[in-house]
Amino acid sequence: MFIDFFYSLKTAGIQVSPTSFLTLQKALNMGLINSLDEFYTSARAILVKSERYFDVYDQIFAHRFEGAELPEVQGFEIDEISRAMLDEWLKDPQALAQALDMDEAQLLQLTPDELIRYFKARLNDQKGRHYGGATWIGTGGSSPVGHSGHHPGALRVGGVSRNQSAVKLALERRYKDYTRRGLLTQDMVGEALKRLRNMIPVGPEDLVDIDKTIYQTMKNCGEIEIVFSRSLKDRLKVILAIDNGGWSMDPYIPVVQTLFDYARDQFKDVKICYFHNTVYDVLWEDPARASKPIPVEHLSAFDPQTRLILLGDASMAPYELMAADGSIHVEERSGKPSLEQLKFLAQTFPHSVWLNPASSQLWDYTPSIKTIRQIFPMFELSLDGLEEAVRHLMAR
Amino acid sequence: MEGNISNKKFSGATRYVLDDELASIVNVSMALEMPLLLKGEPGTGKTMLAHAIAKSLAMPLIVLNVKSSMKLVHALYQYDTLTRLNDSRFSDSNRDVSNIEDYIKMGKIGQSFTSEQRTVLLIDEIDKADTDFQDDMLDVLDQMEFDIIEIDKTMKAVHRPVIIITSNAKKDLSDPFLGRCNFHHIAFPDPKMMRKIIGVHFPDIDSNLMENAVTTFYRVRKIDAVEKKPATRELINWIRALKSDPDFKPKTLITGEIPYLGVLFKKSQDYQRAVEATSGGPVI
Repeated sequence: MFIDFFYSLKTAGIQVSPTSFLTLQKALNMGLINSLDEFYTSARAILVKSERYFDVYDQIFAHRFEGAELPEVQGFEIDEISRAMLDEWLKDPQALAQALDMDEAQLLQLTPDELIRYFKARLNDQKGRHYGGATWIGTGGSSPVGHSGHHPGALRVGGVSRNQSAVKLALERRYKDYTRRGLLTQDMVGEALKRLRNMIPVGPEDLVDIDKTIYQTMKNCGEIEIVFSRSLKDRLKVILAIDNGGWSMDPYIPVVQTLFDYARDQFKDVKICYFHNTVYDVLWEDPARASKPIPVEHLSAFDPQTRLILLGDASMAPYELMAADGSIHVEERSGKPSLEQLKFLAQTFPHSVWLNPASSQLWDYTPSIKTIRQIFPMFELSLDGLEEAVRHLMAR
Repeated sequence: MEGNISNKKFSGATRYVLDDELASIVNVSMALEMPLLLKGEPGTGKTMLAHAIAKSLAMPLIVLNVKSSMKLVHALYQYDTLTRLNDSRFSDSNRDVSNIEDYIKMGKIGQSFTSEQRTVLLIDEIDKADTDFQDDMLDVLDQMEFDIIEIDKTMKAVHRPVIIITSNAKKDLSDPFLGRCNFHHIAFPDPKMMRKIIGVHFPDIDSNLMENAVTTFYRVRKIDAVEKKPATRELINWIRALKSDPDFKPKTLITGEIPYLGVLFKKSQDYQRAVEATSGGPVI
């Protein structure tokens, strides 16, 4: 009866299982659900298992049962992006008018919503990727909206920056998923990381050592002596934050992948997140840095004993660290300069290190590395550097 | 048993403000005999719900506080080898040393299974345990039975307990786990709901005090980078503190001065931050 509903939930990306659908049918058959309101809440409790999907569920429910319009597929992402972009541009209407090929007067007559619609129309008109040319949004070419083009004041829309001085990015969605298993050549990374494990025996001495107890008891001629031993439990939690963005980290990707593969297996709890160049308001849980943000301030709720390992080349323009809106991602800019966020992280996790794949001989030549070294102890991503980093992380 | 359940419907308790949505979810879960997983910020009343259900349905409540080091066996039963060893040595107890069953003690889940009466089983903060624990536990709750290896006996649930599981929003649980429960996320109460909750706890509260206290409460919740934001429990304690202070005037709250800040912020860092944020006049 509700099979359509079930499948529209599934296509929308909610992980609904057939079992839970059958459970819902059972609930209906038992006469537990007698009104649409009850159906709404019960179906949600039974089918949707995470509050992240509640919003999507609401939309689909409204569509299926109350005839509301479904948002366009992918509409959401573009919405977010275009809104962020327009926020930027609205500060400078002239540049915006220029970028959208409009007069300023024409522009002033449009409401922000109309503007966004116009921009979306431009995006949607374009099918597939586009290089060069002068009309649509793409890479190269002279269209006002796109990236690596030659339009003065044009906005960069995704892609790989050809010029090192970063133009603003907005539509970056094509990153490799680094969690894939790559060639494991650097055994030494694993060797060093192993030191992180097997350390600090925690917990009280509450484990009865049966063998020793029997032995001691026999030795005492049957007078019972119970021997306790410390329960060895590896409770090390690790947050691994990896800079996986931009060309500047590309040469280190194989090393990063190796480190990854080891880290996955070695700890009780490894949280891996991503950032680009430096940390702003959020860290990302997905390598594409698109869909799963973790606000940095939420990290304060983590166990302060968690070991925080940042991995990145720490090379960037100084303003990316210092300026309150330094992020080259428009959607990440909301107030605090990255420097503050890094200090906050270092404060929250006293056991933290920054691993840098660049040779330490070059560190003194990059101002941003110098600055970050004042906040995090920095170590080279080499066997020696890792050993030192591990020693630092384990220090009391 | 079936008829028994549908007669018993949960509709709130004296000290718990229940919204209709949650009420129907609780009732459906009870009827379907599925565990109900509650997620939400600390202080949204997840644990209180189980207490309220137990109270309103007059069932005993059994609470299993999950700890990170916990093994499933501990929640099911414990074989007290030390006592047995001791008894065998001194033989001054009335237990039968040759009978292992005398030394088996039921854990919380075991107790809820063996209870003569139907119980409410609250499994609190399941996210603290590792995933193996979670999955294994759901197996037990699904089958409604477990084996005691030492005496080779299968314990079957006499009555299927009403199971409420709580989790803090931080960590996602595994898919098989989620597949076996019903799910509800309790949002942090909005000011309107909060006034209702306060009203339930302080029926005779001065409306001026309530208004100012609730407004101030939502204002201090907005202070940045606080590790533990004050929740409902803190607000209730805070109001209790304000009420007991004879010198306190609700008006002082409007000026941004907040007495007893320590009741709201319990971590020293948070307290510092809150003091800094509130000392310079009203927070915007």
